[in-house]
Amino acid sequence: MEINRDITIEELIEKYPFSVQYLSKKGIRCIVCGEPIWGTLEEACEEKDFTPEQIEEVLVELNELYKQNKNKKDDDKKRNIIKTRNL
Amino acid sequence: MMTKKEILLKLGISEINKGVTTGTEWFDTEGSTTPSLSPIDGDLIAEVKNGTLDDYEMIVKKAREAFKVWRMTPAPVRAEVVRHIGLALREYKEPLGALVTLEMGKIYQEGLGEVQEMIDICDFAVGQARTMNGVNLQSERNKHRLTEQYQPLGIVGIVTSFNFPVAVWAWNSALAITAGDVVIWKPSSKTPLTALATMNIIRDVLKKHNVPEGVFNMIVAKSSVMGDNFLKDKRIALVSLTGSTTVGKRAGQLVGKRLGKTILELGGNNAVIVTPNADMQLAVSSTVFGTVGTAGQRCTSTRRIIIHEDVYDEFLEKFVHAYESVKTKIGNPLDEKTLVGPLIDHFSVDLFKNAVEQVEAEGGKVLFGGQVLDGPEFASGNYVVPAIAEAENHYKIVQEETFAPIVYLIKYKGDVENAIEINNDVPQGLSSAIFTRDLLEAETFLSGMGSDCGIANVNAGTSGAEIGGAFGGEKDTGGGRESGSDAWKSYMRRQTSTINYSHDLPLAQGIEFKF
Repeated sequence: MEINRDITIEELIEKYPFSVQYLSKKGIRCIVCGEPIWGTLEEACEEKDFTPEQIEEVLVELNELYKQNKNKKDDDKKRNIIKTRNL
Repeated sequence: MMTKKEILLKLGISEINKGVTTGTEWFDTEGSTTPSLSPIDGDLIAEVKNGTLDDYEMIVKKAREAFKVWRMTPAPVRAEVVRHIGLALREYKEPLGALVTLEMGKIYQEGLGEVQEMIDICDFAVGQARTMNGVNLQSERNKHRLTEQYQPLGIVGIVTSFNFPVAVWAWNSALAITAGDVVIWKPSSKTPLTALATMNIIRDVLKKHNVPEGVFNMIVAKSSVMGDNFLKDKRIALVSLTGSTTVGKRAGQLVGKRLGKTILELGGNNAVIVTPNADMQLAVSSTVFGTVGTAGQRCTSTRRIIIHEDVYDEFLEKFVHAYESVKTKIGNPLDEKTLVGPLIDHFSVDLFKNAVEQVEAEGGKVLFGGQVLDGPEFASGNYVVPAIAEAENHYKIVQEETFAPIVYLIKYKGDVENAIEINNDVPQGLSSAIFTRDLLEAETFLSGMGSDCGIANVNAGTSGAEIGGAFGGEKDTGGGRESGSDAWKSYMRRQTSTINYSHDLPLAQGIEFKF
């Protein structure tokens, strides 16, 4: 898995910014007073009383989002290359 | 106004910078780099190399060694260093103020104000150095003296936030250094350059005064390097953390577990009460600065305005009129005409948008603003039109602190006690204010049945505190006090001594113990 339970929220925000909105919908505020909260993704979930199954679900969904974002970026990259060649 | 290049050159900032120092020595590190992006245009200003766990260990060891020397340096001599730091800051006020603006986004006037706060606290600490007094107490025993004194604590860890990237360090370190402590500063990873610049500014002062390496330390680091391990570290006598309630609760738990000391300066949900006896124009002018100043990103920003129903319409009309004027002055904070600069990043913009949506979803009504600005001059996407919303105090979004320029208007009926009840009915307790010319209302607000906040002002807004008073708040705000008054005591350990100048051994409480 690209995103695991031990990743710090700070790193998560930096590398996978889409996580902020996803986790916000789950009731987890990654950024408070403009700064990332401290601790790991798992700890942030536990703080909100997520069960181990719910934490697993968060991990699966975040990794799925990561794949979608990565594919979208790759497609954009390809489109840009084609565009440049056509110029 | 200096150009970006001139500002960086003047402050010794390169394209890529070392992020670890023990005062005058800077260390190259193996860590990743933190890019500092300007919220003004989203452009990279410069990068900083992050410290590693090894760097952290090295810094703590240096600090421990330095403390052995520093604690025995007389306080007025220690304060002489602080005095010269204040002088150096005066010299660099303009470029450092401009860098605060460039890196954090507050308007230039506020950038200068931030550096002025640093200067003010240095001056304050110099005076304090000769008055950090204990007390002499009357002993019950013959030829005995009972006395209390304050001793240096040790290493003080200072964690600062992006919104006051350098002033908060100064509040803490000017007092801590004068008190005989040594400091390790972890600046916000959003504003590392202002921290670097500050350390560059003080370097010559430290050299000139032969301050041992390890008295003034700074390390730019991720929370994986200076996070829980730092909070759990028994070698750090005091952790002074300015940030969110979420991070503060974590710090409180982890430091508390080892019975360490903390100064927690956390979130606020600050309200202004406008009574029928208020000077309405004063209330409006003062409150506008509280709501939109620093684009609503101060701990003390006004989040709620509690207005008596009899003057609600009058206040609203004047308040909206003021916002219409402010709306024309949103833009580049380095431009002296600008009153509202950008938010720190797009995450903050998202939180602002969410708050605007949520207050309506909960039944409130947005009366002004709430939009994200676009166009070439707002290309970073971080500029918003400050929002005014009608709301009720119990709404979930009103109970939370949104770190952005959205203010909730709440009506109250009857006596001022009803407004005070609303003021206090939030988890946080940092700042509060009342606008009234009625002595009874003002004194009720300041009484035991009044505001439950650490700061309670009369005819002055919630933000813009002077350094002379103790700064901090109650409840979810953390209970810590920084800056003026007797906040210095938090940076020292208290010691009670009994001195027997007789040849006898009388025990306290008249206990007989003969052998």
